[in-house]
Amino acid sequence: MRRFFVVLKKELKEMLTWQTLAPILVIMVIYSFLGRVINQEQKKQSAPQPMTIVDFDRSQTSQMLAGILTKANFKVTTITEGVVDDIVRKVASEKGTAVLVIPQGFEAGIQAQHPQKVQTYTIMRNFSLLGMNGTFRFDAALSAMNEYIGDMYIKAGAPGLDPATVRHAISAQSFVTVGTTSAEANPQEIVSVVMQQTMVIPIVLTLVIILASQMIAASIAGEKENKTLETLLSTPVARGALVTAKMMASGIVALVSAAAYMVGMKSYMGSLIGGTGGTSAAVGQAIQKLGLVLDLRGYVLLGLSVFMGIMVALSIAVILGAFAEDLKSVQFAIMPLIMIVLLPYLITMFIDINTASPVLKWLIYAIPFSHPFLAAQFIFAHNFTMVVAGIIYQFALFLVLATVAARIFSTDRILTMKLNTARRGLRAGGWTLQREGISWRIRRK
Amino acid sequence: MEQALVVENLKKSYGKFEALHGVSFEVAPGEIFALIGPNGAGKTTTLRIVATILQPTAGTARVYGMDVQKDAARIREIISYLPEEAGAYKNLTGLGYLSFMAELFASDTAVQREYIQRASDITGLGERLRDKIGTYSKGMTRKLLLSRAVMTRPKLAIIDEPTSGLDVVAAIDIRESIRRSAVDGMAVLLSSHNMLEIEYLSDRVAIVDKGTIHDVGTPQGLKDKYGKANLEEVFVQVVKQ
Repeated sequence: MRRFFVVLKKELKEMLTWQTLAPILVIMVIYSFLGRVINQEQKKQSAPQPMTIVDFDRSQTSQMLAGILTKANFKVTTITEGVVDDIVRKVASEKGTAVLVIPQGFEAGIQAQHPQKVQTYTIMRNFSLLGMNGTFRFDAALSAMNEYIGDMYIKAGAPGLDPATVRHAISAQSFVTVGTTSAEANPQEIVSVVMQQTMVIPIVLTLVIILASQMIAASIAGEKENKTLETLLSTPVARGALVTAKMMASGIVALVSAAAYMVGMKSYMGSLIGGTGGTSAAVGQAIQKLGLVLDLRGYVLLGLSVFMGIMVALSIAVILGAFAEDLKSVQFAIMPLIMIVLLPYLITMFIDINTASPVLKWLIYAIPFSHPFLAAQFIFAHNFTMVVAGIIYQFALFLVLATVAARIFSTDRILTMKLNTARRGLRAGGWTLQREGISWRIRRK
Repeated sequence: MEQALVVENLKKSYGKFEALHGVSFEVAPGEIFALIGPNGAGKTTTLRIVATILQPTAGTARVYGMDVQKDAARIREIISYLPEEAGAYKNLTGLGYLSFMAELFASDTAVQREYIQRASDITGLGERLRDKIGTYSKGMTRKLLLSRAVMTRPKLAIIDEPTSGLDVVAAIDIRESIRRSAVDGMAVLLSSHNMLEIEYLSDRVAIVDKGTIHDVGTPQGLKDKYGKANLEEVFVQVVKQ
């Protein structure tokens, strides 16, 4: 055990250097900065948006519409004469983006109950997502104006009738049911809150797995290249302790890196998903009643699933790292692992596991990294059996893979297995797996 | 007296390629025994098997009576192995590296300090031991690794191509260090394709080519036997036969 900690300490010293920490710190700062910038832009977008109204009608109705738009969060400037093209050019030169033209005879047409046309000018100079938002504000303006005119018609046609009753003759009282519990809530709001709680899991997991796998594979390949591995293998350190110390050191460094990334990403992601302004008390109560919050049992199960996912990834990385002859071939060696890690991330984003075909469903279950992605969904659906089954499967797979990894380290395969990418492999358009004298070739067609 | 190393009919194959065809030799305690031969002769494979990091396909190798396959863990406690052109952890300082390696062998901190002190004296690197290994020259790294290999006073030191790639001054330093360290009964098994170096260093020599030992003897004995002026000429004569 003492020797295990000696190797662990050495591995941490080797991995935690300024060369590895500096890029993480830089990314952390960049994401924080991006988050702040996006937040500021969103605040700008939610402020009253400027709109110039060219009112050629100069009637009571057209003036009323200007008031309606002010109430609908528009900062209205009214112009009553001039040439439209000149006005649009002037507004554009003053960095305005929207001009609404109300033609002469507008009020008369409305009173005669004839459909009227207004002209809208959208001045486009920014094609970013947030910038585009501002260019579609006429939809909201037209909707507010139509509602006002519609109310006018209803009041004129049926003086005793409330226009709101006509427009919303039927309204729904929405309930959401999870398991056997129902609560009054909007399903979209519930999904949004649950996603905010759980979307961080796949991001952290993917980051940790990729980072840890790269580190352990690079550590093994580096030791092989430097021949320090030969020296280590001839010392009294147990081979199992050697593998475990490397796995633990990579896991610790990857978790530290992931935590640093998350600090930066929290601000960035918060700006992307947090535009709703937080959860209302009613939605909060519904979430509690439906059991859609992670309690201690939920956190323990989720944590176990994530932990086992990392351990499986590390043991695969040890095996793949053993094939890497040098640091250059590490990326190529762990590529299959990264592909497998990303697969459930992509699948679970677009496919509902409950409605997937049996073949696809079992394929997803067979990938050990699917279970941490699915665990939160199963916990919220109170399907604990599936979560526990997933953890047992991950653990069994880990035992098998860890045994294979330890076996590779305890025999001379660790020194004789090779993944040749530089010479024959890539040139031949495929992989060459070698064990000095023996080679398996998988050729791309 | 029990032999430090007994190798009997050792064979090693990599797939269809047989690297060793039944190698046999013995090394006595305190003896410096060298395997000489060209690249690919099977020297490194033999050394790796004795160092317990490769398994033989057939035959046996016993270190102080312990089998390299069955008693590998016990053998690792009393040997040290220095691979050819080995590196060290570039982010560690020289002292940090010696401390790490000493801790793997030492039973307590007093013994660990004793190992580090001995290694520091052998390296002759002085204050440079506080610098990162990444800043060392090839010769300095080799001195550090050699001192690491002998600091625990192993019963058997296995050294592969001790001066490969080093300049003349560094090579002489390393050879002197090996000579000085081979005291107190420490046996040394080394390999080299530099036959003049072996002539200077070794008590006995085995001539290896294509996985077979062709002859064993003292450098002087071999020269007399074949009537040659140096080991290089002996080697050519033996291989031609």
